[in-house]
Amino acid sequence: MTDSPYHLPEYLARLADEDAVRFITDGLLSGKDDVPTIAVNQAAEPLPESPRWRLRAIRDLIDDAMRTYQDNKPTQADAWLAPRLHSILRLTRAEAADPALWNYLALGVAPDFVVWRHLSEKKKTVNPRYFKGPYHKQAFARLWWSAELFRNGSDYEPVETACGNQDMLNTVLRLDVIDHRPTAQALVRLLKREIVRTGRDANALGKAVNTAGATLMYDVIAPDVVRDANAVQRWIGEGDEGLVMRHRSLPVGPAEERALEESIERLADYFAELFADAPVRGKGEATEDAEDD
Amino acid sequence: MKVFPYPRLRGTVSLRVDAARVKAPEQPREQLDSRARSVVERVVALGLAETENWETATLTVSATIPSKATERGSPWSDVAVVVVLADRATNTRVTSMLAPESEGGREWRGELQVLRADLFDRATMMVQVVATVDGVPGRIIAEGVDDWIVDVRSDAPTREQAFDVKEVGFAKGPRWLQQFTDAPWIVNAAGALPTVHINTDFEGMTDILGAEGRGPEGLVNEIMVAQMAADVWIAVFHSAVGDLEIEDDGTPLFPHGWQGEVLREMLPDVVPERTLEDALCEVHSRRVGVTGWTELQPRIQYAAMRRAEVPRVFLETARGLDKLKREDEA
Repeated sequence: MTDSPYHLPEYLARLADEDAVRFITDGLLSGKDDVPTIAVNQAAEPLPESPRWRLRAIRDLIDDAMRTYQDNKPTQADAWLAPRLHSILRLTRAEAADPALWNYLALGVAPDFVVWRHLSEKKKTVNPRYFKGPYHKQAFARLWWSAELFRNGSDYEPVETACGNQDMLNTVLRLDVIDHRPTAQALVRLLKREIVRTGRDANALGKAVNTAGATLMYDVIAPDVVRDANAVQRWIGEGDEGLVMRHRSLPVGPAEERALEESIERLADYFAELFADAPVRGKGEATEDAEDD
Repeated sequence: MKVFPYPRLRGTVSLRVDAARVKAPEQPREQLDSRARSVVERVVALGLAETENWETATLTVSATIPSKATERGSPWSDVAVVVVLADRATNTRVTSMLAPESEGGREWRGELQVLRADLFDRATMMVQVVATVDGVPGRIIAEGVDDWIVDVRSDAPTREQAFDVKEVGFAKGPRWLQQFTDAPWIVNAAGALPTVHINTDFEGMTDILGAEGRGPEGLVNEIMVAQMAADVWIAVFHSAVGDLEIEDDGTPLFPHGWQGEVLREMLPDVVPERTLEDALCEVHSRRVGVTGWTELQPRIQYAAMRRAEVPRVFLETARGLDKLKREDEA
């Protein structure tokens, strides 16, 4: 199996797409080879040496996730890891939009995690997009962004709920409608209330809500509060002062205001109606988890 | 043509950015001068701000909507005009409700505030008119014809074309171009924006590039530009289909950005009489499948030529040459 890198620099770095492709070999994708650590770090561009970019704590967290879930399906690690990764890797959205950072995490910090988590049992290989891919696919970007888009202010609990359903991550995460916070929260609430249970349910709900969003403006029906300019900055500032991260308890996110409860509830009711009418593949059949490679 | 199950507002809805200012903590706010905005190209270039490390930008915007929206007896009530700023790279969406300026309800005005940390490079901004229709609140009854671009890095408010043109001498240019010194131009579709590199070292290139009018050089210029454009379309098409995101069930997805725009434009000519989604599936399965990719190439060329207007330019060139010949003989 692909092993963890034998050399870890102290700080994170960026690895541009055109450089990253060189290291995504068939041997790595089938979990047989390691990543040439020295070459990756030579190609990478270092980030500023500030406590926020220290990578040791991130590696420790990933090790902990793999240890904790070694006897379970690796998909179950997502709900545990997403809020903790988000809390330890304190980024602005503009920083998180840079694919080079995620490439480096996958190839320079934890290629063994990507293989462990995403090796398809059927195909005996990892889809290369888990190493270098869009935000809703790449192994670490998808976790970080699901935490960013499904948290309710400082509360990561909705993130755990969302990431407990693979189709929320695989399908709903990439829909533009969830960029509106009350919409994202309302979707999670239907999961929480078990109105939506399976992967197929979540998939059908996401599609129905997205389609209805073409003629309805959720922002008007369910207003959100104005984004606080300082909350995220302060949270990132704490990261720059150095963090001690406890793994067992659920962390606390940026001290932003929560989405308006009234807005979430109004949309949750509306989405429940939409879902009742939505066609779900295999509705009524035995429940099953979505296949995820 | 989309069909809506409720009455929509007809007529033109337009959006303008009237002013932009930025603010850094503990510094006075900076009003950007008018050079930061282009009303023609509909772009705001916040990179022009002198305040370093600004954290928030505030845009003053106004919208004009048809007065029918608020006329008595119209099917719409609770009419709201909403500006939406969206950056797909950062999954950020910011909305702001405008307020009516006058009694007639045509002019609406307001402000939209966005955080620097929430924008990667370019966000788009559009306006939508929303109302309660048949008892359903929040219906989108109209949207602006054109969107605006809010660029946080650039210091020039230009929208740029679908592709970039760079004139450069290949012999002394970037290393990768040095291997193409005997080519008049080279198309690169790998970057954030497809680029045509024109080799100014190539003999006669500068003359033809600068030529205008209906003389022989002008005619050659037009046909060369059309040919370059066709090359760009072919290159970007291949680059876009070569990097598709595939769903678990094997369905390819339309990419974001220019790759998606190119595919939407060209697919109706590449795989005619099919929906865009079906056409994309067909192209993808032919590319990764056993057969059919080679057979598709003429259609890709055809689609590219049409986009680049090669047929029209060729006809005009032929007529132009004919006319020149007759003038010579006369």
